[in-house]
Amino acid sequence: MQPFRRFTTATARWLGLLMVLSLVLSACAAPAAAPAAGEATAPAAEAAAPAIAGEVSRADTLIFAADTTDLITLDPAVTYEFSGIQGEGSFYETLVSFTPGQSGVQPLLAESWDVKDDGDMWTVTFKLNPEAKFASGNPVTADDVVWSWGRAIDINKSPAFLLIDVAKVAKENLTAVDPQTFQVKLPKTVSPQVFLAAITFTVAAVVEKAAVEANMGTDMGESWLNDYSAGSGPYVLNTWDREVSITMDANPNYWGEPARLPRVIIQNMKDATNRLAAIETGDADVVQDLGPEQRTALEGNPDVSLFDGLNTQMIYLGMNAKMAPFDNPDVREAVRYAINYDEIIALTGGGAKTVQEIIPDSFLGHTGLNPFTQDIAKAKELLAKAGVAEGIEIEMLLPSDYPAGPIDFPTLAAKLQSDLAQAGITLNLRSLQFSELLNIYRAQESPMTLVLWGPDYPDPDGNATPFTTYAAKSIAFRNGWDDAKAADMAAAAALAPTAEERTKLYADLTEYVFHQGPYAMLYQPTRTYAVRNTIDGFNYDASDTPSVNFALIGAK
Amino acid sequence: MARFALRRFSGLLFVLIGVSFITFFLAQIVPADPAATALGSNAREEQIAAYRKQLGLDQPAPVQYLQYMGRLLHGDLGKSIRTRRPVVDDLIDYLPATIELSLAAMSVALLIGIPLGILAALRRNTWVDGVARGFALVGGSMPIFYLGLLALGLFYRQLRWVPGPGRLDATVTPPTQITGLFTVDALLTGNWPVFANASAHLLLPALILGYFSTSVLVRMTRSSMLETLGQDYVRTARAKGLSERVVILSHVLKNAFPPILTTIGVTFGALLSGAVLTETIFNWPGLGRYATTSVTTLDYPAVMGVTLVAAFIYPLVNTFVDIGYSAIDPRVRVK
Repeated sequence: MQPFRRFTTATARWLGLLMVLSLVLSACAAPAAAPAAGEATAPAAEAAAPAIAGEVSRADTLIFAADTTDLITLDPAVTYEFSGIQGEGSFYETLVSFTPGQSGVQPLLAESWDVKDDGDMWTVTFKLNPEAKFASGNPVTADDVVWSWGRAIDINKSPAFLLIDVAKVAKENLTAVDPQTFQVKLPKTVSPQVFLAAITFTVAAVVEKAAVEANMGTDMGESWLNDYSAGSGPYVLNTWDREVSITMDANPNYWGEPARLPRVIIQNMKDATNRLAAIETGDADVVQDLGPEQRTALEGNPDVSLFDGLNTQMIYLGMNAKMAPFDNPDVREAVRYAINYDEIIALTGGGAKTVQEIIPDSFLGHTGLNPFTQDIAKAKELLAKAGVAEGIEIEMLLPSDYPAGPIDFPTLAAKLQSDLAQAGITLNLRSLQFSELLNIYRAQESPMTLVLWGPDYPDPDGNATPFTTYAAKSIAFRNGWDDAKAADMAAAAALAPTAEERTKLYADLTEYVFHQGPYAMLYQPTRTYAVRNTIDGFNYDASDTPSVNFALIGAK
Repeated sequence: MARFALRRFSGLLFVLIGVSFITFFLAQIVPADPAATALGSNAREEQIAAYRKQLGLDQPAPVQYLQYMGRLLHGDLGKSIRTRRPVVDDLIDYLPATIELSLAAMSVALLIGIPLGILAALRRNTWVDGVARGFALVGGSMPIFYLGLLALGLFYRQLRWVPGPGRLDATVTPPTQITGLFTVDALLTGNWPVFANASAHLLLPALILGYFSTSVLVRMTRSSMLETLGQDYVRTARAKGLSERVVILSHVLKNAFPPILTTIGVTFGALLSGAVLTETIFNWPGLGRYATTSVTTLDYPAVMGVTLVAAFIYPLVNTFVDIGYSAIDPRVRVK
C-alpha cells in the first residue's frame, strides 16, 4: 500500500476510536442528565409562583460564605443544624424571640402573652400581632400556629424533643381560641420560662398551613419546604442549590421593618483559606469561622473588619465517676488544679474565653467565677491524699475530626497531657471519629473524655439538667455521676418562678458542681467573622435564632 | 473484536460484585453507629433504636448485604442517611460536576502532555527536553493539595487572573440543565456569559487536576517515542527517502501510541482519586466531595453508591482503552 493510503487508513481508525470514546463519555453524562432534566422541569413549573425571578446586582446582594456541610434541610420542623437554622431562620418567625441587647424573650408574632396557674396545669395565652402576615399576604392566625406545632410534633425529627420533652407541649393541649388568640396548656413539671425559651427555636416557627398542606407529598411537606418557603419572615427562599448555595430574596409583603438588602446568598465554602481569599478579594461580604492564621492575615487590612462572637459551646473534660481513680472526688479536683487555663487560651490565639462553670456566658445564671488556676503542688497533695500512685496511666478519648473552637482537639489534648504530667498523671490519648467516640461515651465506657457541648436552647436548664441529672441519660450519665443533690438543685432552679430566684439557685448549683462534679470545664470558643467595610449592620448573638440576622445588614 | 469486547465487559461485572462485597464488609468493621451519628448527640435511646430498625441495621450483616444487592438489581442504591434522599438522586446531582472536571483535566493532559512528550523525544537532550522533564518531575512529585492551594493563592488571591473557587460566581444562575456540565450546557443554549464564567472557573482546577496526568503522559510519550525512534523500520523508512513528517506521523507515532493509550487509562483512575482533593480546595460540588462527606458522616449507602460508581467508571474506561488498543494494534486482536 502507498504510504499515503496507510496514513489515511490509520487516521480513519484513530478518528473512529475517538468517536467511540466521546460517544461513551457522553453516554455517561446522558443517563445522568436525562433523569435530572426530568426532575428539573417538574419543580420549575411550580417555581413560577413563589420564586422571585429577575437579576439582582452584586451591590444589592449580600454574599455570606460559610462551611455549610451540616445543611440537610430547610424545613423548620426538621432543622437542627447551625447552617440549616441560619438558612431558614430568615424565612420563618416564632411567637417570641431573643433580641440582642434585651434580656428575656421579646414579642415577635405574639404581641403579648400571660401565664395563668390553673391548678394542675399552666395556661399560657398568646395574643398574635394583628399586623403579622405571611409572604403570600395572608394573615398569621392561631390556626397556623396550632397546625405548625402539631406538624413538628408529628414529624418527630431531631428538634421535636424541644417541644415534646423540654417544653412538654402535647398536641391536644394546643388551642386556637380565635384567629388572634393561641393557647397552650403545660404540665406543672415544666417552668414557663423554660417553655418560652424553647419556643424561640425554629422548631416552633409558624408555617403557612394553607401553603404546606397543599404540598404534603409523602413526607409531610418536608421535601417541598426544601425548595419553597412558607413563612412570615423578612426573606423568602429563592433557590437552594444543594452543596453550593442558598439564595434568598427580600419578602415584598413583610409586615415588619423590611430587609435592607434585596438578596442574600449563603455560599458554601468549606475551606478557611478560601474564605480568607474571598473576603480579601471582596467575592464575599461576610465570612464565618476564621482560624488564628486567617485572623493574623487580616489584621491591618483596611477593607475588612474582624468580629468575635461568643459561642455558647463549651469545651470540657469529663471524668468517669464510676471508674477508678475518678470515683474519688479528690482526684477529680486534682485534675482541675493541674490544668493551666491561661496557656490554653494562649494556644487558641485568643479565640476563646476561660469558663469553668456549666452555664455558658450570655445565659441567665452565669456567674463568671473561675475558681481554678494551675496549682501543681495542690494537685499532687490531693492525689497523694487519695492514694493515687505517681505516674498513673489513664486513657483519654477525644474527637479527631471536630474543631474545639479555633484549635483542634488533638492540640488541646497534647497540652492537657503535658499539664497533667506535671502532677504525675500520664494521659494516654485516644483519638477517634466523633461518631465512634459518642458510642463509647454513651455507654459509660470512657475513663476520661475531652469533648464539647452545645446547648440546644438559650436557657440555663439546657445545660444544667444534662450536666447534673443522671436520669436524663446525658452528660452526667455518660460520666457515671449519679448525684441526687445536684439533680434536685437543677430541678429546683429550672422551676423557680422568677429570674432572680433562678439566678441564685444556679449560683448555688454552680458552686456545688465546681468541686463535686466530674468535670473540668475549659473554655467557651468565640466565632470569628470577617466583614467587608462596605457593609454595616453585621450582628451576631448566640441566643438569637438565627444567630446572624440578615435583615439588619446593608450597604453603607 | 466483538467477542473480545464481550469478554472484557463480563469481567467488569465480576469486578463490581467483588468491590461491592469488600466495601460492604469493610464498612461493617467501623465501630460506630450510623443511626446515632445521624440523629446527633441529643437523641434518645428509643429514637436511635427505632432509626436503626428503619435503616435495616438490626439485621445480620450477610442479610443486609443480600438485601442491598437485591435492591441494586432494581437500580435502587438506597437512601442517604445524611441527605435523606435516594443515593441515585445524589449521584445524579454530583456526577456531572466531576465528569466536567475530569474531562477538562484529561483534555489538558492530552493537549499538553502528548505534544510536549513528542517534542522532548524529538529534541532529546536539548533545553526543550530539560524543561519538559523538569515540568513532568514537578507534576509527578508535588502533592495536588499543595499545588492547588499555591495556585489559588497566586492566581486568584494575588493576581486576580482567575475567579475564586466554585463552578460559577455566586451571583450567576446555572444554565438550563441538559448534560449537567455547565460549559457544555451554556454552549448548547447559546448562553455566552455563563459559558465564559463557567470556563473561567473550570480553568485552574482542570490545570491542577490534570497536572499529574500531564506529567505521566509527557514521560510516557517521550520514552515510547524514543524507543520507537530507535527501531529498524524507522531507519528503513528514512533510508527509503520518506519525508521526516511522514516518518514521524505514519511510522513512529502510530507504533509509539499503544503504551500511551494504556497510560491514559491508568491516569484516569488517578483523576478520580485526585478529584476528591481538588474538589475540596476548589469548592467543586462533585462526587469526590460527596464521597469525603459520606465517609466522615458514616453514610453507608452513600459510601457504597460512590464506591460502586467509581468502581464502574475506572474499569469501563480501561475496557475501552483495551478495545482501542486492539483497534490500532492488530497483534492484540489475533491473540
